[in-house]
Amino acid sequence: MTTGLIFDREFLLHEQSPSHPERRERLSYTIDQMEEEGLFHHPRIRVSRPPRATREQVERVHHPEYVRFLEEASRRGGFIDFDTVVPTGLLDCALLAAGGALHAGISVWKGDFTNAFALVRPPGHHARAGTGAGFCYLNNMAIMVRHLQHEGVRKVLVLDWDAHHGDGTQSIFYADPSVLFTSIHQKPLYPGSGDIDETGEGPGLGYTVNMPVPPGTGDVSYHYLFDTVIAPLAREFSPDIIAISAGQDVHFTDPLTGLAVSARGYAELVRKAVMLADSICNGKLVAVLEGGYSVEGGLPYTNLGIIAALAGLPLESIREPAGYQEILLRATDPSAHERVCQTAGELRKLLAPHWNCFS
Amino acid sequence: MLIGMDVGGTNTDVAFVDGETASIKVPNSAGIDTALSRISRPGRLAVSTSTPLNHLLAERDRKIVTILIPGMGLFYEGGMKGAVNHCGDIVEDIDRDEIDRFLRANPADAVAIAGKFSVRNPALEMAAAECACRYFPKERIALSHPLAVLDFPARIVTTRLNARIREEAFRLVSLIGQRKKDFLFFRGDGGLTTPENVLKDPSVLYNSSPAAVALGVHYLTGLKDCLAVDIGGTTTDLVPLEKGIPCTEELVYGGERTVTRVVKAESLPFGGDSVIADSIEPKRDGNALAFGGRLPTLTDALNRAGYEIGDFRASLSLRLEHAEKAVDDYCSIVAAAVAAHDPPKIAGCGYLAPILVPEIARRARKPFVIPPHAACANAVGVAVSRVSLTLFAHFDGGRGRVVMNGETGKIDRVGDDDELVAICTAEVKRRALAAGADPRDLDDIRVLHCSSFDVVRGSFRTSRIADIVVQVAPGITAEAR
Repeated sequence: MTTGLIFDREFLLHEQSPSHPERRERLSYTIDQMEEEGLFHHPRIRVSRPPRATREQVERVHHPEYVRFLEEASRRGGFIDFDTVVPTGLLDCALLAAGGALHAGISVWKGDFTNAFALVRPPGHHARAGTGAGFCYLNNMAIMVRHLQHEGVRKVLVLDWDAHHGDGTQSIFYADPSVLFTSIHQKPLYPGSGDIDETGEGPGLGYTVNMPVPPGTGDVSYHYLFDTVIAPLAREFSPDIIAISAGQDVHFTDPLTGLAVSARGYAELVRKAVMLADSICNGKLVAVLEGGYSVEGGLPYTNLGIIAALAGLPLESIREPAGYQEILLRATDPSAHERVCQTAGELRKLLAPHWNCFS
Repeated sequence: MLIGMDVGGTNTDVAFVDGETASIKVPNSAGIDTALSRISRPGRLAVSTSTPLNHLLAERDRKIVTILIPGMGLFYEGGMKGAVNHCGDIVEDIDRDEIDRFLRANPADAVAIAGKFSVRNPALEMAAAECACRYFPKERIALSHPLAVLDFPARIVTTRLNARIREEAFRLVSLIGQRKKDFLFFRGDGGLTTPENVLKDPSVLYNSSPAAVALGVHYLTGLKDCLAVDIGGTTTDLVPLEKGIPCTEELVYGGERTVTRVVKAESLPFGGDSVIADSIEPKRDGNALAFGGRLPTLTDALNRAGYEIGDFRASLSLRLEHAEKAVDDYCSIVAAAVAAHDPPKIAGCGYLAPILVPEIARRARKPFVIPPHAACANAVGVAVSRVSLTLFAHFDGGRGRVVMNGETGKIDRVGDDDELVAICTAEVKRRALAAGADPRDLDDIRVLHCSSFDVVRGSFRTSRIADIVVQVAPGITAEAR
């Protein structure tokens, strides 16, 4: 069993501005943690550098006009929205990040790795076919999925666990029954979409599954949603591969969000996904980094937790320092779980016409 | 005058380099002290002592206990309380009673203490060492933070190795220091270092013979690309040189990675003392018959072929056909290994090289050279080596802290990358000169790593963090050129 760690030091180069939340500091501490844990030499882990995604691969998802815009904006700098400016040289970085996701997916599909984690920057899940948004330029996840389908994969289950709704990925696959898009995200929060009644359209009706959760939601609720919504759906859908949009801004120390997930809780969630993949698609699972802005607090531990869970390593010590307990207590809303259960019940009713597991 | 001393399995070789090169062999039966007493000339003494340490490491009956402080992250069996985070902050203290209970319940010969991120802040390891001092003398306590490298699993293995040999390193430092006040040790990567540094990380002494041979061959032959074939008593080592320098690799000890670098070599388990039954066997059982041993060896086989090595008459009890087959098999084995390297030329070293290497070269279809002083090429390599050292620096402006090779200091501000590289370059030069480096060897300081990023708090840049690694690389000192 080998876990692929798709990483290139070039992922650290992209920066919109030195003080932007999605800055190189985000991964720097994680890399320190990985080096200190010896993960670059671990017998179950193989580090692999990706090639850049090609124009052809990118344009299976994005409009050529948008890619041309990025190309031109990358020369002199450009603007998409106030969160998402285009620094010079952006396209090269974005193509490498998309290439990272793609390399992770195809390596798992071909059996080079049992599973893989693409530790890429910039993130992608808010990017739509024709525009970037919310720190994202190219939709790494969607580019990977379309490439996998080009290589013969029929069905992909996407688990988007970023605290922000993966509106870009949802829009790309909204009418596509070959991709089951599921998302747990905080609501209210940017981008504001992701209600339970957004369930897809046309042939894709029932293949978009949104699980909005209130601020203060923690480990218990995330595991509840996994057990009672995601796992039954996954078994019925029977995908060829599972792909996680591994945003880690659900962590209780994240400065941009208000959730209360712990590093251990997140790692256990990934372990459940690994076990699910084992039972329905020969273990084929790929995780792609999205957001996560607690650069000094949670990120080194959640990133490590994902890798440890993918590689089947013990998770007992995937935790924050003891002094963080007070912050967790403050971040947790004890009433959130009841509301999550209620939403999940409504969601199951909405989906019942499309899925036997909920009828 | 440069003096190199290599303590081998059977003999101690000493080389004197001062324009001319001279060398002597002193049998180990006389004791290292005797070899030291032969070095009466003034000059810089460098000592390679890997063989006694290798033997010590092969002894598995020494019990080493490990105080592990893994904190958050990957799980370690037997981990104790205490945690340093990736920034070098102590986020959980150690439990001194827990360490006391552990050491009382687990009597041992020595203790290794390793904490995750101790290279960013050694305080918890030092506190644990204070507890351990009640159970062990300081010579039997090894800490991981002086190893300086971010790689906790490999640091644990290295620290355990160090716990095993640290007391012997103290003994050697004292023994040699009594005879020669200023001396340097030769490391497995081919550089020289001070006794003080060796006591912090004695693993650098391990397996230094290939490095010594590589430097010796390059110095004695001037060859830049070749394969050194070093015929020793127990093994025959093949050491490739490219552009005048040997390749280094991570030392693997007991099947586990360490943070220590050693010169890459292929070691064949046959040498002059390899026992002969029907043919040559991959084992040693004391000396050859010609040197008072009880079983015939490859050296005796050569005596049966007409050479006169040692008390050559004592070799007569070895049957001629067995002797011929042993020499033939040995040359075939080594020639096949040499051919696999496909070197442009081979250079033979060791006492038996002038006899065996021409035949090995013929079979491998490679040109060869036997340099002068081939029997002591290793000691020559030790003599002509230069002081080298690597400086790992972590600057954290927000915390006003700089950690250099596991030692914490204060810093007012963190400048730009060029400024930090300049600081590290000046520091590595200062340390190298203090260790006795020739100033001419410090012209070429290598920057092995340089990365930095801004620390942002509340949307404002508040400070910078930077990691710099600079090195005075191993090689031949300007004084010998």
